[in-house]
Amino acid sequence: MSDQTPLSTNLGRLQRASFVLAAVGLGGLVLAAALSPENTEQFYRSYLMAFLYWLAPALGSLAIVMLHNMTGGAWGFAIRRQLEAAMRNVPLMALLFVPILIGGIHPLYEWSHADVVAADPILQGKALYLNRTFFTVRAIGYFCVWIFLALSIVRLSARYDRTLSVAALRKLKVVSGLGLGTYVLTMSFAAFDWGMSLEPHWFSTIYGLLFVIGQGLATLCFAVLVASRIARHEPFSRWFAKSHFHDLGNLIMAFVMLWAYVSFSQFLIIWQANLPEETPWYLHRTGHGWQTVAILLVAFHFVIPFLILLNRRTKRNMRVLATIAAAILVARYVEIFWLIAPAFQHGGGLSVHWMDIVAPLSVGALWIGAFVRNLRGRPLVSLQDGKLLGQLEEASHG
Amino acid sequence: MQQAAGNPRDLGPSVIGPGHDLGSVTDKITSIVLKRETPRGWWIGLGVCLSLAGVLLIAIVKLLADGVGVWGLNVPVGWGFAIINFVWWIGIGHAGTLISAILLLFRQEWRTSINRFAEAMTIFAVMCAGIFPLLHVGRPWLAYWLLPYPNTMALWPQFRSPLLWDVFAVSTYATVSLLFWYIGLIPDFATLRDRAKSKPFKVAYGMLALGWRGAARHWERYETAYLLLAGLATPLVVSVHTVVSFDFAVGIIPGWHATIMPPYFVAGAIYSGFAMVMTLAIPLRAVFGLKDFITMRHLQNMAKIILATDLIVAYGYAMEAFFAWYSGNKYESGMMWGRMVGPYWWAYWSLMLCNVAIPQLLWFKRVRSNVLVLFIICLIVNVGMWLERFVIVVTSLSRDFLPSSWDMYAGTKWDWMLYIGTIGLFGTLVFLFIRFLPMISIFEMRTLVPKSEAGTEASGFEEVE
Repeated sequence: MSDQTPLSTNLGRLQRASFVLAAVGLGGLVLAAALSPENTEQFYRSYLMAFLYWLAPALGSLAIVMLHNMTGGAWGFAIRRQLEAAMRNVPLMALLFVPILIGGIHPLYEWSHADVVAADPILQGKALYLNRTFFTVRAIGYFCVWIFLALSIVRLSARYDRTLSVAALRKLKVVSGLGLGTYVLTMSFAAFDWGMSLEPHWFSTIYGLLFVIGQGLATLCFAVLVASRIARHEPFSRWFAKSHFHDLGNLIMAFVMLWAYVSFSQFLIIWQANLPEETPWYLHRTGHGWQTVAILLVAFHFVIPFLILLNRRTKRNMRVLATIAAAILVARYVEIFWLIAPAFQHGGGLSVHWMDIVAPLSVGALWIGAFVRNLRGRPLVSLQDGKLLGQLEEASHG
Repeated sequence: MQQAAGNPRDLGPSVIGPGHDLGSVTDKITSIVLKRETPRGWWIGLGVCLSLAGVLLIAIVKLLADGVGVWGLNVPVGWGFAIINFVWWIGIGHAGTLISAILLLFRQEWRTSINRFAEAMTIFAVMCAGIFPLLHVGRPWLAYWLLPYPNTMALWPQFRSPLLWDVFAVSTYATVSLLFWYIGLIPDFATLRDRAKSKPFKVAYGMLALGWRGAARHWERYETAYLLLAGLATPLVVSVHTVVSFDFAVGIIPGWHATIMPPYFVAGAIYSGFAMVMTLAIPLRAVFGLKDFITMRHLQNMAKIILATDLIVAYGYAMEAFFAWYSGNKYESGMMWGRMVGPYWWAYWSLMLCNVAIPQLLWFKRVRSNVLVLFIICLIVNVGMWLERFVIVVTSLSRDFLPSSWDMYAGTKWDWMLYIGTIGLFGTLVFLFIRFLPMISIFEMRTLVPKSEAGTEASGFEEVE
C-alpha cells in the first residue's frame, strides 16, 4: 500500500520533470505558432482553453479555502495546505495571461475587429464594454484582486499556525467572507470577458456561475487526487482518514449536481424560449459532431460520477474516489473545449487540433511544477489543527 | 462537516444553554403543551389571527360569488397578487426543508432546536401558497383537471407548461414535508402521551404516537426512515423553487426570461424562509423562555445564512441589470430602465433597500448579536421579498412589447384582504401548533445535552454570549 521512497524525493523528481516537460511543450508550441499565421491563430485558441482550464484549480482553491474558513469541517483542514499551495499559483496565472493581452485579443475576439464592429449595430452598442483598453484594464483588475486575496489568506493562515492568535483567525474569517463574494463577482465577469465574449452577440446570465462551479469542482477533484498520492507515504497515511475522503466525495457529488443543475437550467430556458439571439449558441454545440461531445459531457460530467458517488463505500475508498476525481478532471477539459472551441468554428464541424491537447498539457506541467514547489515550501499539515481535532490519535486507530 | 463538535477554530456560543440535563429539557418543552392554563397572550394572538383568517374567508366568498374580476388583474397584467403571494409563501416554506433535510445530512447539530417549528412553518406556508393558484384558476372545483388522469372529455394537461410542473412540484413538496414533519413528531407524541394528565389528550397523543414504545428496534427503523426522508426532501429544496422560476424564465417576457432565474430564485426562497423562521423564533424564545434552547448561536447562524443567500440574490439582481444592457436588446434594456425610473420605481428601489442595502448590516457581529435589530431586519427582508416578486411580475407585464397596450396595475381591496387573510391563516396555524404540539424536538434536544457539556471543555475557547 504505502510507497517506500520518501515523499520529498518523489516531489523533487516530479518538480524537475514538470518544469522540463513545460519547457519542451511550451517551446514547441511557440515555435509552431511562429511558423504560419494559421498556427498563430490556433495557438491562441488552444492556449486560451489551457489557460481557463488551469485557472480553475488555482482560483478554485482560493474559493474553497475561503468557504471552509467560514463553514469549518475536518475535510478542509486535511487538504488545506495543498489548496494553499495551489492558490499561490494565482500570480503564475496572471503571468500566463500576459500573452493573451499582448497578442491574443485580435485573433481571439471578434469585437476587437474595427471593420466587424462598424458593420454591426449591436456590437457598436457593446463597444463601451467590449474594447481592448477596458478588457485589459478589467483583466488587470481581476488579477490584482485575486492575487491580493490569495496572498492575504496564505499569510494570515501562516500567522495563525505560528501564533494561534485569535485575532488572525477573526481576520481570516472577515477576509474570507468578503473575499468569497468578490471572487464570485470578479470570476463571473472574467468568464463573460474571456469566454462569453468570444461570441459577442450571445448572452446568458448564469454563465458566470457555470465557471465558478466548474472551478470549485476542479479544485475538489484535484485535492482528492493529490491527497491520495500523499497518503501513500508515511506518516501522511495516518493524517488522512476515511471520513475526510467521504466528506470530499460528498462535496464532489454536490458540485457535480450543481454543475448539472446550472447547465440544464441554462439549456432548458434557452431551448424552450427558442429566441434567435440565444439558440445559435446551442445549435453550434449540438450539431456537426459536437452533439457527441455534449452527450459525453452529460455522461462523464454528471450521470456516471453521480451514480458512482451515490454509494457510500466508493466515497470512503481513497483509490476509487481518486479515479473518479481524475475522470472528472478530464471531463472538465472536455467541457471547457465544448464551451470555447465551437466559437471559433462558426457552426463548423467538430475538429481537434494537436495544440488543443498539447497546450493544456504544457501549461499544466508548468502549473504542477510551480504547485509542487509551493507544496515543498511549507509543512504539509498543520499540527495545531491536527492536535485540536484529535486527528493524529484518532487516525491511528483506524 | 460538524461545526459544533469538530471544529478547533470554533469561536461562537454553544447550541444549548448551560445546566441542562435530560429531564429538564423534557420538562421545559412538554410543559408548554401540557400546562393546564392557557396564557392570555396566546388567546389574544389567536384571536387576532383568527379574525384575519375570517377576512380570508370573506375575500374567498366574494371571489367565488363574483369571479376573478374582483381582483385588480387587467390586460396586460394577467398575473398579479395571486402569483406574487404564491411565490412569496412557497419561498418562505423553503427554510424548513433546508433546516430539516440538508442541515441534517450535513450534520449541523445546531439545527435541532429550530427544525420542528421550521418544518411546521413550511407546511403552513405551503398551505397558504396553494390557495392562490387554486383560486386563480377561476373555478377551483375543477382544479383536478390539472392532473393527468384518463377522462371522457379528451382533456390532457400541457406537459410543456411549467405551470403544470408546479402542480407536481408543489404537491410532492407538501406531501414529503408533511410526512417528514409527522415522522419526526412520533417519538415526541409518545413522550406527550406518557406525560399527559387528562384522558382525551392521552388518547389523542397515543393515537398519533402509533404505538411508539422507544424500543431499540423502533429507534433503529426510525433513524433509517428519517434519513431516507431527508434524502428525499433534499432535492425538493432546490426543485420546487426552480420550477417556480421556470414559470417565469421559460417565457420570453423581458425581465422573466433569464438563465440566472433558477439559482437566484432558490437562494431568494431560502433567504426569505430563514427570515420568517427568525421572525417566529425571536418572539417565541422570549415569550416561552426558550433562550437556553434557541440560543444566540442559532440566531447568529441563521443571520449568516440570510446574509449568504442575500448575496446570491443581490448577484442575481446585478446580473439582470448588467445583461439588460449587455444584451443589446432594446426590450431588455427598456424593461430594466422601466423598473428603475418607470412608474414602479418606488417598488424597485424599496426592493434594493430591503434586499440589498439593509441586510449588509449582518456583516457586523454586533448586529448579529442584537436580537431586536435582527428581528427588524428579518421583517424588512420579508417585505423585500414580497416586493421582489411584485417587481418581477408587475413591471415586466405592465409594459409589454407594444407601448399601446401598456397599463398600470394595483391590487384591489379584495387582493389585499386575500393576502392579509393568508397571513392570518398562517398565524392561526402557528398559534395552534405551539399550544398542541412540542415546538422543539424533545428527543433530539436530549441528544445535545451531554455534548454541550463536553463541547465547552474541548473547544478550549471562552464562551461568548
